[in-house]
Amino acid sequence: MGGGAEAFARMIPHLPNPVDYTVPAFVLLIFLEMLWARRRAPEKYEPKDTLVSLAFGLGSTVAGALTAGAVLAMALWTWQYRIVTIPFTWWAWIACFVLDDLAYYVFHRTAHRVRWFWASHVNHHSSQHYNLSTALRQSWTGFIALGFIFRLPLMLIGFHPAMVFFVGGLNLIYQFWIHTEVIQRFPAWFEAVMNTPSHHRVHHATNPRYLDRNYAGVFIIWDRMFGTFTPEVEEEPIRYGIVKQLGSFNLLWSVFHEWVGIARDVWSAPFRYKLGYVWRPPGWTHDGSRDTSDTIRERWQENQAWTNSTSSSSAGVPGAAQPLAD
Amino acid sequence: MDGELVKLGASLIAILALAWFAKLLKLGGDIRISDAAQARAIASETVYGFEPTDIVLDKAGIGALLKDAQGRQMLIRRHGVAFVGRLLDRKVDARLDRNFLTIGTGEKAFGKVTLDLGEAAQYWAAGLRHLPA
Repeated sequence: MGGGAEAFARMIPHLPNPVDYTVPAFVLLIFLEMLWARRRAPEKYEPKDTLVSLAFGLGSTVAGALTAGAVLAMALWTWQYRIVTIPFTWWAWIACFVLDDLAYYVFHRTAHRVRWFWASHVNHHSSQHYNLSTALRQSWTGFIALGFIFRLPLMLIGFHPAMVFFVGGLNLIYQFWIHTEVIQRFPAWFEAVMNTPSHHRVHHATNPRYLDRNYAGVFIIWDRMFGTFTPEVEEEPIRYGIVKQLGSFNLLWSVFHEWVGIARDVWSAPFRYKLGYVWRPPGWTHDGSRDTSDTIRERWQENQAWTNSTSSSSAGVPGAAQPLAD
Repeated sequence: MDGELVKLGASLIAILALAWFAKLLKLGGDIRISDAAQARAIASETVYGFEPTDIVLDKAGIGALLKDAQGRQMLIRRHGVAFVGRLLDRKVDARLDRNFLTIGTGEKAFGKVTLDLGEAAQYWAAGLRHLPA
């Protein structure tokens, strides 16, 4: 690092982790949502599932603390090779937040489409419930999965790692409150731009219509731009979880099951297919014996097309349904 | 370091308190499979396109076995206040004790399930014996 850069680095204000300050609010909101559930829908919470989700959150914090030094070192190393030096000014904060959210979209989409990344991210989806405790169901193995590499381009552009990690914390905080069934829909303008509980419910669904959609963190515009947006529709209640539900409240199995699955598949596969079980989509097999999101959706679309063609009253595109009213 | 440990301890207390509170409020509940239509819906959710032609429910509604036209068999059971299922496409650990059929899918974490299938237990146990190894 040159002398100028070192001087710049010394000028950086100490930025706290914003998530630390919001944990009490997370706890309070979960408490309030439980009270709502008791009155309206006790089945929305399952105590064992809740405990597993919260333990995921705690373990994730510990794993994050243990690997923070290495991640920061890599971020600072990358920042050495930045194209420009972006100052800590108001417009830089806004730009950094927006670009970090785009980086999150790319990460998140990859996390669903490449099994190596999915092995870590699946933790967040393995609950069959969707409530605020699910938001805290965060991975313990994000470092192993190399999820942090998706933020490195921001350092290469010239955003300081401290700024990137701070806005990343804000992004995580935003995503907490959208994990709820308490809120139905916001006004159309808000739903058009922002990720909302409705959009994110779709993301957590296992219904073929909804699989692998709505990857956004804060701004849903990325999904609209890149063709991965699907609205929540009234006539199709959402089922939460993963295609092959865990069927277990065992915390360690919940954390590591997909890594174990990769290891078993790589071990037993013919040599030339081994890597496919690492980088291809979850569910991919060399003999086609399992389903991926794509094969499930294809069957569903064929079924919809057949249903529509045999129904005299139906019209429109296969699978078309009425979005929830704005 | 001390500050981190305090935060960790406080977080641990908070999650235990929330889990305890969920139990105190009696969240969750006791769900059962009430009829064949519900079992059919659960099976379809478990494996898209699975259309059972033969269904047997546990007498208490805690699980069911289903078979489709291709001869595929599926076990579904409750899991908390949700349901989970597995296609039984390989040899399973099945034990018959009069009307009770105990099935282990081979997945340790999924566990074993004992279903009270009444007189149909023998028929379904026989079907499970023919699965490939």
